[in-house]
Amino acid sequence: MGLKDTIKTTVSDTSSSAIEQFHSRAHFWGRLTVWAAIILSLSLPVVLSFFLGHHPGWSVILSGFLAYAGIIAVVWVLEPIMYYTILGVSGTYIGFLTGNVGNMCLPAAAAAQNTIGAEPGTKKGEITATLAIGAASLVNKVFLIPMILVGAVLVSKIPEHIQQVFPFILPAIFGGVLAQFAMKKPTYGVIGLAIGFVINLTALVVYMKMLLCIILTITICLFLEKRNEAKASV
Amino acid sequence: MEEAMRLASGLLVWVIALLILAVVIFQAVKFILLAKDAGKEIGMTKGELNSAIKTGAISAIGPSFAIVIVALSLIPFLGEPLTLMRIGIIGSAPIESVGASLGANAYGSELGSTSFNTQAFTAVVWTLCLGGVGWLVFVALATKSMSKIEKKIINKNEKNKKLMMIIATAAMVAAFGNLASAEMVKGFEYIVAVLTASITMLGLTALADKLKKNWIREWSLGLSILTSLVVGYFIFV
Repeated sequence: MGLKDTIKTTVSDTSSSAIEQFHSRAHFWGRLTVWAAIILSLSLPVVLSFFLGHHPGWSVILSGFLAYAGIIAVVWVLEPIMYYTILGVSGTYIGFLTGNVGNMCLPAAAAAQNTIGAEPGTKKGEITATLAIGAASLVNKVFLIPMILVGAVLVSKIPEHIQQVFPFILPAIFGGVLAQFAMKKPTYGVIGLAIGFVINLTALVVYMKMLLCIILTITICLFLEKRNEAKASV
Repeated sequence: MEEAMRLASGLLVWVIALLILAVVIFQAVKFILLAKDAGKEIGMTKGELNSAIKTGAISAIGPSFAIVIVALSLIPFLGEPLTLMRIGIIGSAPIESVGASLGANAYGSELGSTSFNTQAFTAVVWTLCLGGVGWLVFVALATKSMSKIEKKIINKNEKNKKLMMIIATAAMVAAFGNLASAEMVKGFEYIVAVLTASITMLGLTALADKLKKNWIREWSLGLSILTSLVVGYFIFV
């Protein structure tokens, strides 16, 4: 089952050009919307500083920015590269604009691929991920807007004892998604979890943990697949 | 402080925040439509396309709830529209709160303190907006090159295509292995939360296979999260 069948069924000439066209459209609309968001983001501080007269001074801006960049600048580059193989072209544009890649976009994409049986890294997988992340982004905004407006009042009305389960939401998401993969690729699941666990016992910075875990898991999985292949061909 | 918060909830900040959200919503709709077209052309059925959208939407409910809860903690310091703008696009509440305090410190003030005036607020806005733009600039500039590199590798031969699938799957498993582990090392309760959700997911998927009901798959992640929370509530609260 699996790998070979999916390759056969998803790859043909017509589907290649369809994906080609999809990618070029995705680049166009993705860049357009991302640049629009960049310009809008920067317009707010510019207006506050120079049109409304609340300018705090360039040295303040620079030192605040440098301190912040010192923590996150590596992640600006690392995250998009690291998640590209999973998200694909269109997923990268949506995922990084809407944010919450690890805790929302990836789980949504993985769950959808699992539902309709599409493998990550195939055309079908990419289209499925795009649909799922797009839908997730919309749901997220639909939640966010009213909650920001009335949420503070609403959340304070949730009884204290129920609020205590909120910290379990994230581990539950990750556990659920991991199980989906463990069913399809048990060895991958065991390797990913084992490496992740060891790495998380170290004191590395958060993004280094993620990077290291991805590199190690890919290396070991590739090695295992190669060995299996060698065995099969003997 | 009051003056700064009045500025923070002013009309102008609202307008820009809502415009950014409009861009995000437009993008999501546009990409769903593009992917639907492309999906039909590569031979996906209507049922598959809709199922992908539905599963994505359902799976986002749990995470969105968690995201919003954390986001609410920023409102007292940043005001509603800036919170909406920063959480609505790339950015997660914990990182934003770090950036916000760094921006305030750079001005020689602290979030929520009496010295937090309109200029301190503007310093915070600069820090957060410049910080968030970093990801977007890289994505806008580099995604095309990344896709070119990927295509070059894939188009070489069939073997590379298979290699790419192994890499994509392994990367995904690694990401979740790492994320789940990061939670599990926090304590016993977290291990139980991870395991309960995993077991529920295994059970639901087996059930979906047996009954041949696709809706169980679509709801499986949402239900796994819910089960894990209920179990966590009865054991630990």
